[in-house]
Amino acid sequence: MSANGPVFHLSEAELGAMTSDLDAMHHDLTLPALKNSLAEWTEDIRAQGDTGHDEEAARRLISDRRRFLIRAAGAAGGLASVGLLAACSSSSSSSSSSAAASSAASASSTSSSGGMADGSGQKLSGDLQVVAMAASLENSGIATYMAGIKAATAGKLGTVPPAVVTFATTAMAQHTDHMKAWNAVLTAAGKMAVTGVDPVVQPTINTAFAKVKNVAGLAELALMVENIAGETYQNGLSVIKSAAGIKTAASIEPVEFQHAAILSFVLGKYPVPSAFTGVSLARPPSDYAV
Amino acid sequence: MEIDETALGGLIEESRDTHADALRAAREPLADMVDLGRQARAGSGPDAEESRVFADKNRRWLASTAARAGGLLAATGVVAAIADFIGSPAFAASGTDVQVLQTASSIEVLAVATYKTALTLPYIGGTAANPVIKAFAKTTMSQHADHLAAFQAATKSLGGVKQTKPDPAFVPVVNKAVASITKASDSAGALLVVGLALELENIAAETYVNNMSLLSDANAKKVTASIMGVEAQHVAILNAVQALLKAGAGADITLPPPAAKLPAAAGSVGFPNAFYPTSSAAPATQGAM
Repeated sequence: MSANGPVFHLSEAELGAMTSDLDAMHHDLTLPALKNSLAEWTEDIRAQGDTGHDEEAARRLISDRRRFLIRAAGAAGGLASVGLLAACSSSSSSSSSSAAASSAASASSTSSSGGMADGSGQKLSGDLQVVAMAASLENSGIATYMAGIKAATAGKLGTVPPAVVTFATTAMAQHTDHMKAWNAVLTAAGKMAVTGVDPVVQPTINTAFAKVKNVAGLAELALMVENIAGETYQNGLSVIKSAAGIKTAASIEPVEFQHAAILSFVLGKYPVPSAFTGVSLARPPSDYAV
Repeated sequence: MEIDETALGGLIEESRDTHADALRAAREPLADMVDLGRQARAGSGPDAEESRVFADKNRRWLASTAARAGGLLAATGVVAAIADFIGSPAFAASGTDVQVLQTASSIEVLAVATYKTALTLPYIGGTAANPVIKAFAKTTMSQHADHLAAFQAATKSLGGVKQTKPDPAFVPVVNKAVASITKASDSAGALLVVGLALELENIAAETYVNNMSLLSDANAKKVTASIMGVEAQHVAILNAVQALLKAGAGADITLPPPAAKLPAAAGSVGFPNAFYPTSSAAPATQGAM
């Protein structure tokens, strides 16, 4: 700590130890419970026979996506417009990887060459649609943080405070845990893991990321991604049929909103802006119907 | 203090506008619940099979909770009594979602009362208070009042009686904590207040996360889902505030905080778990009438 730095009664090591204690509690209690929920959910999905194609969901695809895009444009401001137009004209899955190949997604190893290789186009329905959508959103979140860390390391964002670095690496690690949890449900149901980024959100992220010049800009982008994720899972809680699936989604939704609160705080925005979180930015699971 | 109070006021006003939008969104499921409640009242009351399934679920959950319970829940010693109650015919005959919603209401009643008490302290709600902490306490109290109103409306919509009393298991614990706070110095008292608020917020968040898989009514789920993330956000901010107070860096609790001055570990102290736990959740029927 520099001579000009603040005088902390609690050392960084002590603060780190507190975090480690909480982390240990998480591994002792939370992860075994999650494992049980994932196993139960897999059984429920098999029992429901939710592995095929849902025609009704496919019909909802275009209108659901258009509604989301209009709302996301509001959330991302003018930055989103170019990406949104591109997304509107794209097909549901095959264009996702190419759109994601630039900027934010290019830093992620999760993006692949498209088609079935990234887990899209599996003709999913029911709970598995929600799961696939969630996994792709997590991949977009991971890609965003990874690109941000890469840009910061390259000195493209100016001075980056150590606390911001810790935030980004921890949030990215948690999104990786979420992605693994969602994909565990897919693979246990005999489906391919979704390794591609979200086909509709990613172009918006890429367009916004290209304009990020500093830590505040990156935090604004991350805030949009976290709110979309939180609202998508909140919406998913009304769609998922399995009680074990609801437990899993319910354990992830609040964490995304916690990320959003800290990002708002750092940006100087009131961190808990509403008594109720909404679903206007929620991604429609029907994008994974085809 | 570095905070611009006018700017903070503007932010809170902006947040109220966002809140009003969300409130309108929350009204839709509540309106649907009114219809459902009318249908339920026109029928023959709670579904016996639904109650049985719910009781079974709760028994299993309580058994595991009792085994690992710590902190407030263990101290209150109510787990065994509630397990007995759940197995009783009285429980099976009563509405299930209604009981869950009543328990949620009882937690909100306690939260509102706790913040109200805290705001009477000069270092939380007075002129000596940090403006960010004061604004947070006032806004959070108001948000809990909104949650209470939503849970009560949901309870009534399903034909239940709205809960207006605090969760009986946690009242003695809060009273004891408040007694300690009033005897403490300003700096120690502030830390105790934040610790108490943090524990209550976490109980609320964990309870609602847990309730999501217990509720059967679609709109009761929607209302709960729209609230649990907000309690988790309160937890995140209180975690950060607590860490700064413990570090003797109360002056750095500003909006925005001086990020460059903060230690690296401060970046993750707000959200320690990748998956929100439920080990401190209140039993689903603890605050039921």
